[in-house]
Amino acid sequence: MAEEKKRRAVATKTAAGIPKFVRGNLSATLRAKEEGKKVAKAFIHDGHDEIMRAMDIVPAWGESFSGVCAAKRDAEKFLQKAESDNFSRSLCTYATCHIGFEMAREEQGGAMPEGAPWGGMGRPDMILGNGQLLCDPRFKWPQALQHYLRDVPVFVTNMYYPPWDPNVDHHEQEKFYVKYCTEELHETVKFCEKVTGKKMDWDRLAAVVDLSDKTWDLFVDTYDLRKAIPTPMDTGDAMNTMVPITFNIGTQEAYDFYVELNNELKEKIAQGIGVADPEKYRLIWAAGLPSWFALNDFQYFNGKGAVFPVEVTYRDHEKIERLDLPKTNDPLERIAWRWVRYWTHWYDAARKIPGSTPKVARIIEYFEDYKCDGVVFHSAFSCRSWHAGIIHQAEVLRKVYKDIPILIMEGDIVDISSYNEADTHNRIDAFIETLEAYRNKQKN
Amino acid sequence: MTGSQNSKGLEKADRYYKQYGERAKELKKEGRKIIGYMSALTPVEILTAAGVAPIRLKGFMDEAVTKGDAYMESIICPFVRSAFDAAVKGRFGFMDGMVLPHQCDSIDRTNEVWSSNLNLPYWHFLNVPHVTGGPSIEFMKEILRVFIGTLEKFLGTKITDTAIAQAIKAHNENRRLMRELYILRKQNPPLISGVEMMKVLVAAMSLPVDESSALIKSVTEEVKKRPAPADGNRKRIMIIGDQIDHIAIPEAIENAGAWLVVDDLSIGVKVYWPEVDETTDPLQGIAERYLRKLKIPTTFVGEGDTYEENLEARFGHLKQRIAEFKVDGAILFIYKYCDPYGFEVPAVKSYIESGGTPVLYLEDEYSTSTLARVKTRIEAFLEMIA
Repeated sequence: MAEEKKRRAVATKTAAGIPKFVRGNLSATLRAKEEGKKVAKAFIHDGHDEIMRAMDIVPAWGESFSGVCAAKRDAEKFLQKAESDNFSRSLCTYATCHIGFEMAREEQGGAMPEGAPWGGMGRPDMILGNGQLLCDPRFKWPQALQHYLRDVPVFVTNMYYPPWDPNVDHHEQEKFYVKYCTEELHETVKFCEKVTGKKMDWDRLAAVVDLSDKTWDLFVDTYDLRKAIPTPMDTGDAMNTMVPITFNIGTQEAYDFYVELNNELKEKIAQGIGVADPEKYRLIWAAGLPSWFALNDFQYFNGKGAVFPVEVTYRDHEKIERLDLPKTNDPLERIAWRWVRYWTHWYDAARKIPGSTPKVARIIEYFEDYKCDGVVFHSAFSCRSWHAGIIHQAEVLRKVYKDIPILIMEGDIVDISSYNEADTHNRIDAFIETLEAYRNKQKN
Repeated sequence: MTGSQNSKGLEKADRYYKQYGERAKELKKEGRKIIGYMSALTPVEILTAAGVAPIRLKGFMDEAVTKGDAYMESIICPFVRSAFDAAVKGRFGFMDGMVLPHQCDSIDRTNEVWSSNLNLPYWHFLNVPHVTGGPSIEFMKEILRVFIGTLEKFLGTKITDTAIAQAIKAHNENRRLMRELYILRKQNPPLISGVEMMKVLVAAMSLPVDESSALIKSVTEEVKKRPAPADGNRKRIMIIGDQIDHIAIPEAIENAGAWLVVDDLSIGVKVYWPEVDETTDPLQGIAERYLRKLKIPTTFVGEGDTYEENLEARFGHLKQRIAEFKVDGAILFIYKYCDPYGFEVPAVKSYIESGGTPVLYLEDEYSTSTLARVKTRIEAFLEMIA
């Protein structure tokens, strides 16, 4: 096994409990068979979370698995395995790492590949995907995986939201988008019923959706505490504390986690404890999945007095009240409205800034609310879905804020060969100097 | 009508290929609105019915991406970057608007990059679904109505069902004519080379449908009349990929001593084989063609009770083409950073090979500067299957 980089220290005690969550999710997939449960290879933010939780289907999160391999700096063997069957290194490395793992397991007759992190992940009984406006691997990865798991059925849903167009009123389109999403989710339930042989308990699903809504609210309230100066938690921790809401939404454990985090952040604020001492610069992590093998870079920023009180990445939730969701008795329609409005509720704000976009409107809102001094993006070479358009977002921000300091870091999510620590730290150093110069200019 | 309309088919195709957009420029001068579009997923029938001149954007393999670099990340599909670069450099300066259909992340996630940097009077992102069930057909019809509504607003005219039905007929006829031309490649040696065919395919996508049909007809007549090539003792190759629109690729194959006899490209067989059914509601037929009949990897095909049946549903048409065109070997030419095609490589490669046809998989940039290694691989492949 590759040498494991020393684990990044976390600023909050609550975040230190995250590995237990991740291990728990992995081990649940390994226990599922003896518990008589089905395992679904699934994706985050696909609208399937509550359906799976309500039907006792155990999610096997490929992104999480590959992220763990990356964090342990031990993904290369699986990336190479996938490459050996002509999966290009330029493809999504979350996918190729996981596919390589499954290829290795199938070749070994089902035995867990040596060095699979934290005991590995259970073999799925079904594969759920979703064609979205987010990411092609969400429907190509399932197909590619099935090439090696030929007995495992695949179902792909489609959940869209009205595309941003400054000249088209999206409000008129929302209803038919929601109708489509709802129908697609009903199709997903039918598929899950067929594979599990169990009928959906609709009351249970409604309760799970309610719990998710509560968790969304609590999550946003908790993260808003980071507006405090000094901030009690930054993005380095948030890349951990996103786990419950991202991978365990719809469970009591996820909700309880944010209760604990909320309490801890309030205590830190009361005591004036910040991530950096002194806190000199406040930054927004404006887009991009992190390099899971280089989370220590957040501490490098912190060591220079720079903190990230806010990030766009994995903050895929909003106060439910703000989304103004129409009433419905169908929990799947509720999920659909929540999904569509989550994306469209920035559209009106974007229209007020000529040349802006919803993504930029969101960055601007956070930038102002969290009193930031600069912007950092991360561009991961193997992922187009979250990393295409970053240059454009930076340009629009420059139009709004003129000479605002912006750093675009480059790397990957899983493939460490894309990363050079010395170069990265040099760029961070130069950026810190820019922040200082910008601050001095603002004063004069 | 200008002089460019009077020459012979192959000569005209060559000129339209070399001076891409020449006819659109002329039509613009004549007062026609020119709407550019990307990908096989744009329902050209709607544009034709609207009375505009559609032109599919192409890239320029022999030009480095320069200006576009300032706006679009290098992790985007190199073809998309090349087309965008050409657009921001003004190569398509005649366009009044553009339609960007939701094909893949490289298109979808750069919609705002395109629209804000080109700043055209008309812009539309068409949110084509990735799946094809009943709800998706209904959804597709909804987004087609939105699309039609934005075009009507821009043009100030109504796009009637009758006009759409007529456009469907015209495009179906266009597809039938192109298939007739393809049939001439079934002979050994093929009556039209892969290089010539590439020029015709590219020229055809730059023209209004009636002119495109006239061009294809004249090429077919010309090719039928001329003597057949003498060299029949060459391997017959099929190329598979998305938008390969430069003769450098067929040249690399044919200069290595093979015939390129058929393709499964998004400017070729993929678009010319499936027709739109003439349904009472014309949008029904259009929705079904673009979702269920077009065989492109960004449309998820889930049919089949077993994996093997699913492969037949996804790739069965490739085996048909291989048999019909007596293909000796297939080249899978995939652009770097392409998740939709890239994730299919092991499946499609092993599927074709299971039928006894060898496959060469190539991943490359969209650039002639990298073609030397491609040529070497092709030569080695041809030697292997000789």
